[in-house]
Amino acid sequence: MKQLLKEREGAVPASVRSDLEHIFRAAYPRVVGVAARVLGSRDEAEDVAQETFLAFGRTTVPAGEAVGWLCVAAAHTALNHLRSGRRRVSREEAASDRVGVAPDVAETVVAKEEQQRVRAALSRLPRKQAVALVLRHSGLSYAEVAAALDLSPASVGTTVRRAESALREELNRHASSR
Amino acid sequence: MRHPGDGLLRRLLDEPDGVADSDRSHVDDCPSCASRLMAVSSDADDVASALRFDVDVDVDAAWSRLLAGADHEAPVPVRPRRRWKRTPFVAVVGVIALLGGASAAAAGNWFQIFHTEQVTPITVPQADLVQLPELDEFGTMRVESRPRIRDVDDARTAREATGLASPRITNLPMGVTGQPRFLVGDRVLGVFTFDRAKAEKALGRPVPEPPAGLATTEFRLTAGPGLAAVWPGNSGAPALMIGRVVAPKGFSNGVPFETARDYLLSLPGLPASVSGQLKAFTKEGGTLPLIVNESSESSFTTKVGKAPATVLTTDSGALSAVFWVEGGFINVVGGSLSTDEVLRVAGETRWAK
Repeated sequence: MKQLLKEREGAVPASVRSDLEHIFRAAYPRVVGVAARVLGSRDEAEDVAQETFLAFGRTTVPAGEAVGWLCVAAAHTALNHLRSGRRRVSREEAASDRVGVAPDVAETVVAKEEQQRVRAALSRLPRKQAVALVLRHSGLSYAEVAAALDLSPASVGTTVRRAESALREELNRHASSR
Repeated sequence: MRHPGDGLLRRLLDEPDGVADSDRSHVDDCPSCASRLMAVSSDADDVASALRFDVDVDVDAAWSRLLAGADHEAPVPVRPRRRWKRTPFVAVVGVIALLGGASAAAAGNWFQIFHTEQVTPITVPQADLVQLPELDEFGTMRVESRPRIRDVDDARTAREATGLASPRITNLPMGVTGQPRFLVGDRVLGVFTFDRAKAEKALGRPVPEPPAGLATTEFRLTAGPGLAAVWPGNSGAPALMIGRVVAPKGFSNGVPFETARDYLLSLPGLPASVSGQLKAFTKEGGTLPLIVNESSESSFTTKVGKAPATVLTTDSGALSAVFWVEGGFINVVGGSLSTDEVLRVAGETRWAK
């Protein structure tokens, strides 16, 4: 049976979980969105999402917990990309071209610098704060963030608030030093 | 009624139904809270704007791409595994926090402050000490006493609040001006219990069988109180910080520290070079573990007076800090200074009771 499945065009390989396609189609845009908020790049975000779903496909994480697992994994993987400097210049430049429709070169440069500044500041936050921040701003509820990060729902607001305050300070400090 | 915390105000913006009626009423009627809520709201809006990145994806194409990738993936055990790797830093903090009590968290957090290029530090490290970040990923952390970091009027008040001596320096480095502000924090007490399932989740893989009794052993971790003086530079931004905190201690009501240490050092994912260093730590402490990010910071050991000290500096040279342990205290001098300057200040600092 597994062999038959594998041979059928477009079928899920036997090495990955059978409900992957359903979860993928439902969650892919959200997972890309999480990674994109971290990376500021659609192409890189899609790479991260692929990596995340491949890992997920080999787990037994219950389907009901899939979205939280995927979003946290995507956030961590994207932050790792940021911090390890594994960003690909060509992809970054290609992505930055899509940052809105800048009417002139100056605005494009400013937008690109702003993207880089925000991402650099994000990468300097404590990991848990950064992840909670990205998840919340990606639309996860407090209950979902709490479940995904092993936090109490009551502490999600505190974590997100600290992260927002820290990010603002990071951005202000670097803005004032420029 | 007490004023609600910032976390509750933040939730009020997103999920007001999740906030108690009494808190909502208080915020509605309290000018101070209303003002705080505006600040919280402003930050939330700014961050939302900064992080916004709209993406339009082709799910069908992405699914095809995933199938192509999955075909080339070798089968692996179905054990759930986080795709992201736990950084050595996380593991190290978890391990040495358990071995040396909160000293690791103190060191780690100070390092984080250093790493994030902040020189208003004592507020943050002790605040983070409350949660002993990362350690809770290896078990359960129950915080029984929080530090309540706060500004106080002057050195005398800082001394009275903490029972500690305050720093006094007469020869400020060039570019450091004015009067310092003083910060104090109370003693922190947390109780940690190892949890094998959480450790496996954190490390992303199975861990060896723990020693008998480890799961029921409570490790009491204490740190503080502490105080710090922060001087501004010419620009008004913090430029020099001198602080001290009562050195953290750890206590066990079951498994000896050494047993826990040997077990933790056996956990997978810990680099051999790090393991070797950790073996030097004992429950008596005496060594302040500082974790250096090799990619962006440098460190060297020296002495402040007769005490062994560790100096950290960013590769850019913009920030430096020196840590030393003496008389049961962890002392730190740091700022936007050279290593020579922080060492000079450390050597010249007097502690006034």
